[in-house]
Amino acid sequence: MAFYEVYSHPALIRYKTSVCTKATLFFVIVLCLTYIPPLLVAYRSQGFWLKRSTYEEQPHIRFQYQILLTGATSTTGDYVAWSTYHNFNHLLGSNLRIPSVSVQEEDLNQDGKFDRLSLQLELPLKPEEQIYSIQLLLTFSYQLFRMSTVVMQTLVYVQHSSSVPGSQLFVSGDLRLYQRIPLPHRGLHTAYNVSVIDGTSPFASAYDLVKIIQAYQERNLTTYLSCPSPLWTVGRASDAPFRINAEIHYPLEIISYRPGFWETIKFAWIQYVSVLLIFLWVFHRIQTFVFQNQVLPTVPIHQVKEHRP
Amino acid sequence: MTVINSIVPARFLTLIAHLVIVITIFWSRSNNVQACLPLDFSEEEYNTEDTRLVVALSVTLGLFGVELAGFFSGVSMFNHSQSLLSLAAHCSASICLSFFVFQKWECWTYWFIFAFCSVIPALCELILFIAVFGLKKKPF
Repeated sequence: MAFYEVYSHPALIRYKTSVCTKATLFFVIVLCLTYIPPLLVAYRSQGFWLKRSTYEEQPHIRFQYQILLTGATSTTGDYVAWSTYHNFNHLLGSNLRIPSVSVQEEDLNQDGKFDRLSLQLELPLKPEEQIYSIQLLLTFSYQLFRMSTVVMQTLVYVQHSSSVPGSQLFVSGDLRLYQRIPLPHRGLHTAYNVSVIDGTSPFASAYDLVKIIQAYQERNLTTYLSCPSPLWTVGRASDAPFRINAEIHYPLEIISYRPGFWETIKFAWIQYVSVLLIFLWVFHRIQTFVFQNQVLPTVPIHQVKEHRP
Repeated sequence: MTVINSIVPARFLTLIAHLVIVITIFWSRSNNVQACLPLDFSEEEYNTEDTRLVVALSVTLGLFGVELAGFFSGVSMFNHSQSLLSLAAHCSASICLSFFVFQKWECWTYWFIFAFCSVIPALCELILFIAVFGLKKKPF
């Protein structure tokens, strides 16, 4: 009958020595060479400690129904304006024109977060007035929940001027987040939950666009409208109002954040262990060769069950 | 017997590999010297660092002479501990020096490689020389 191997199992041989021998020195050196070089290899090949990572989330954006509108009606500095702040409208005097505003916020994919804002504004003008430039400021509330909780009030500023008087301004773009520094990975961030325009102030300086934008740009987290140039249509009929048509989409945002301790440790550990396995295998083979062939003297102890006769 | 059949050729190969790469560094040392100088360096600074590296490489060649003399004369060819030490030192030196050349390490890192991987085996070789020829001990 044919002879074949039916089963096998490893037999353990232990090698013993005292503390002050060459074998101990060899063992200590091998220990250092097994566990320290993988750390060096993983660290020097860059990316060991994760410093910045990204995640994607669609933010909760709601239009706050506060608008500030200014339009220049001549090239010599005449203007008309309107806002949703009573104090600002009082300061305008005869430059105030009250438009009719229609706003829809739509949730297109029914996930509970708004996806698009459609704003139509019709500004009545006297027949001899022409609009040469428009400055429009809209306020939003912006919320993120997935990593750190961010609640803030932000704005969108649209400006367009032309040397030709216009009849319609069309703006279509995405509301994007601009970060100067990465967000933390957890915690509550409400430092910017302050209205961008102080509507209770009776002073004109509170509604100065330069000061508003200057204070707004001091923030580390801002939003802006990312769009190609606004479309300026010319040829207004003398009795037609000036139309502003704005479509602002709220897209999925890719947000960068600083990973926390455990995420950093997890990725560092993965990198270290994957290199350590190679070094463990190599030095296992070297140690087996050295101790099995008694290159350094040790006492081998075989575990053999003695058969009683 | 089979142990010596493996250890002696391995030791010879690692010794020669280390020697070859040290000789190669003689020709390719300009990148390493530039790596340890600031962006705007003068001719004298370059020459100083270059001379230092050349001195280190030359001393390494001298120590190689000591080790090869000990190896080929039979003083340490059959000594297991010295073989193992020499094997480990020259193997790590070859790996580190190939990184030295390819990754353009700074010239002062060569002193570390020199200390651990050239000086220590040569020192042990000298001790064995003294033990065999001076104290009349057997080589293995």
